[in-house]
Amino acid sequence: MGKTETNPKTILDLDRTVHEPARLAILTVLASAEEVAFLFLQRVTGLSKGNLSSHTQKLEAAGYLDTVKVFQGRIPVTSFRITEDGRTALRAYHQQLRALLPKEGKP
Amino acid sequence: MTTPDLEALSAMTREYAAFQARKSGLATALGGLMAVLFLTAPMYVDALGIRLMGRYLLEYLLLAPFVWLALKTILARVLYRDLGKVKGIPDAAYERRRWFWILGIALFIGAFLVLCILGFASGFLHAIPAGACMTMPSLGALWLPLLYIVPTPWLLRGIEEARAYAVLVGECMLWFLASFLAFWSVRPYGSPSMEIASTVVQIVLVLLLLAILIWSALAMVRGWKEHREYLALLRTLPRES
Repeated sequence: MGKTETNPKTILDLDRTVHEPARLAILTVLASAEEVAFLFLQRVTGLSKGNLSSHTQKLEAAGYLDTVKVFQGRIPVTSFRITEDGRTALRAYHQQLRALLPKEGKP
Repeated sequence: MTTPDLEALSAMTREYAAFQARKSGLATALGGLMAVLFLTAPMYVDALGIRLMGRYLLEYLLLAPFVWLALKTILARVLYRDLGKVKGIPDAAYERRRWFWILGIALFIGAFLVLCILGFASGFLHAIPAGACMTMPSLGALWLPLLYIVPTPWLLRGIEEARAYAVLVGECMLWFLASFLAFWSVRPYGSPSMEIASTVVQIVLVLLLLAILIWSALAMVRGWKEHREYLALLRTLPRES
């Protein structure tokens, strides 16, 4: 098999938890900061509250993020932190994807 | 969903976090404005004589750095957090530079006080006779500028803030010297000291005042520009779907 040929197994090996666009966006934002408020994450990703909650739950279940809940006075404030596993998964995903994409100038 | 590309998402997050961690925006502009006001206010002939609630106006002006720190803290709680808190990734190089500025302010105050003591010892500076102008003892007040150092490690979050604070403190030190501690002439207190200060001292003072004015103008522009950048950042965020 040539160097530029894509191994179908490699595509199938992509982490599907990270591969989903909304979750990829969430992880990208979380990887750029130490802790991110729910509201900011919602606005920056453009997701609805319900959608964002559902995706963060999946990422939390995969061990890619931690949810931090605190009270500011009587108001509950939810924030998220990416875990070390989440960072590793995102890095691995970027590397896999870069390896899969054709080099510039080649079809 | 209209999601910006991943690079843009990452940049927006870092930028928003920077506003909460070290960019002061309007607080920098306010620092510049205060620097101009506190530079020009005591220049009026009667400024030294104005009394408010039993104290001279200049005594209140010396609180300017603390007033700015308080206003800056309030602004930081109100502005730049429309979308909740985002804690940025700590930047060790930036933190080192911040401490460099804090140490610089402390060294400046220390050096200024040492020069004052040397000035008194050499006879270049003359202590204001007790009760001649201000209510505070003259030489006994030498330790007071050290109070400017105390809040710096906690309240100066960014380099722009440290610059603004350094300028305000520098100004206050000048007025502090002129109003509480000393005059640099051999004539009795009450004669305008600038008039008989040596030409070198006058040139140095004028240059210093000019530098403060230029910095203040730049700080106001920079602060306003930063504030606009923040508003632009909010506008680029996608609307809720």
